[in-house]
Amino acid sequence: MFGAYSSEWIKLRRRAMLLWGLGGGLFFAVLATIFTVERAVKNPSLFPLRRGRITFAELELPTGLVHGVVDVSTLIGIVALCLFAGAFATEYSQGTLRNLLVREPRRAQLLTGKFLALATFIGVAVVLEIVVSCAVALLLAPGRGITTSAWTSSTGINDLLQATLHVFLASVGYGLLGAAAGVLLRSPGVAIGASVAYVIPVEAIIVGAIWSNGDRWLPGQLLSALAHGGTGDSSYHHSLITLAVYTVLIAVGTLAVFRRRDAS
Amino acid sequence: MTSSVVTSGLTKRFGPRLAVNAVDIDLPAGVVSGFVGPNGAGKTTTIQLLLGLCRPTSGTAEVLGRPISDPASYLGRVGALIEAPSFYPTLSGRRNLEVLTRLGRIDSGRISEVLAMVELSDRGNDFVRAYSLGMKQRLGVAAALLPDPELCILDEPTNGLDPAGIREMRSVIRGLSDRGISVFVSSHLLAEIEAICDHLVMIDNGRIVFQGGVDKLIDAQQSDIIASPEHPADVQALAEMCIAAGKPARAEQGEVHVQAPEDWAPELNRQAMAAGITLRGLTVRRASLEEAFFAITEGQPDENGEAG
Repeated sequence: MFGAYSSEWIKLRRRAMLLWGLGGGLFFAVLATIFTVERAVKNPSLFPLRRGRITFAELELPTGLVHGVVDVSTLIGIVALCLFAGAFATEYSQGTLRNLLVREPRRAQLLTGKFLALATFIGVAVVLEIVVSCAVALLLAPGRGITTSAWTSSTGINDLLQATLHVFLASVGYGLLGAAAGVLLRSPGVAIGASVAYVIPVEAIIVGAIWSNGDRWLPGQLLSALAHGGTGDSSYHHSLITLAVYTVLIAVGTLAVFRRRDAS
Repeated sequence: MTSSVVTSGLTKRFGPRLAVNAVDIDLPAGVVSGFVGPNGAGKTTTIQLLLGLCRPTSGTAEVLGRPISDPASYLGRVGALIEAPSFYPTLSGRRNLEVLTRLGRIDSGRISEVLAMVELSDRGNDFVRAYSLGMKQRLGVAAALLPDPELCILDEPTNGLDPAGIREMRSVIRGLSDRGISVFVSSHLLAEIEAICDHLVMIDNGRIVFQGGVDKLIDAQQSDIIASPEHPADVQALAEMCIAAGKPARAEQGEVHVQAPEDWAPELNRQAMAAGITLRGLTVRRASLEEAFFAITEGQPDENGEAG
């Protein structure tokens, strides 16, 4: 498995991977942080709150430092989903999977090693996104008169670490959906298109028009709740446990398909 | 002689199509074995079965003495180039090989060695997207050589190569054989196979139609004796003389083509002299592999059991 993990890192260090994998999430995270700090409202009675705006009081809480990043955690997750789907499907569409299987015929090890390398890459990306967006928030906040003492308190640091873990776990969950789509559909365009379409509009339509309770059970909704550390509809523990069950089912199904299907 | 590959009743069906039909192959170790057949005959599918890339519908096979149901037990000793060479275009040739050395736990020092063997040392650091098809093909052979294999399976290695590249590829393959590596090389270019192989497996419509030594196959085919009389007016008489001796013959552009074994040439010379015909030329043309292939496959039933 270490061979598969190590060899995947050669591909992950390509310029395009760094640009889209790291740059994509970083762009959303920094942009969201700038918007959150710059559009925060000191006195909501004078400026009615609109979508995406929060008050100074909310932002000055220990969780305020990562407010922007957590807000765009779904977009960060979508970047991970695209990265995983592309990485797996391209091996099929490019024909490189055959070369890999000749050198590592133990398919479970190959799949797992590759997945873990991608998960590590996403972990690095999430940490980088949070570090940079925190730096941006700490730079911008004093200029707007936002008090940041709670951000650097022990509670603030603890909240920061927890948010990092939640966003990372959610991103790996999105990545797993992408990996499954990549293995099943074998075409990067189709895999990315189908999985993004499912996670964003399809689930929203299901919850909005068909199954109002779906936000407690559909994987995309649960991943969003996990990234936020739980929501009113779906608690953190409920999200974590339900997603763990989904993870096992999806991982076992994907592995079974990958092991049994001809690589011709 | 030990075998590098042995298959028994190996069969692969894709839906209604029988791609490989009860194939029995026995490849001697340490020689270059050719695998020939037209496009779509089942060569690539057979190779994929041997490499564990697809599962047989029925039948068994062993590669280097290990069953194909356990590819991990033998693929570390096998190098392979499968169909068109596939690489990551935005990685250099060297980096592409590094992906494989890390995956297969192969000493990375082999990368420079194999790049030198296929004469890509000076282009190893270029992106693969900048490679010509011939260079990609050579990089594919380099990838196959990475594990210093006991058996090298090359699927259409001369595809896309120019004449100079084909000659280089022949020399690479011969070099492998000289080092005691068993080589199983597929091609639909019969002349290529004839030039480099000692042993031959012929496949058509998923069935093996011949296997054995190349010489054995060609010797089994009827050769042509071409006799050229000094005077063109004697051509017809010479042809009739051969036919009278029980050898099919035809007059063609001042020559007589006689279907007869090679050792009948002296007798033809004697009979012509006795008939007062002076020959200015007498040559024997052996059947080519291509002619032998078509002689064997004509009338072979296809996968539906109908004669072709």
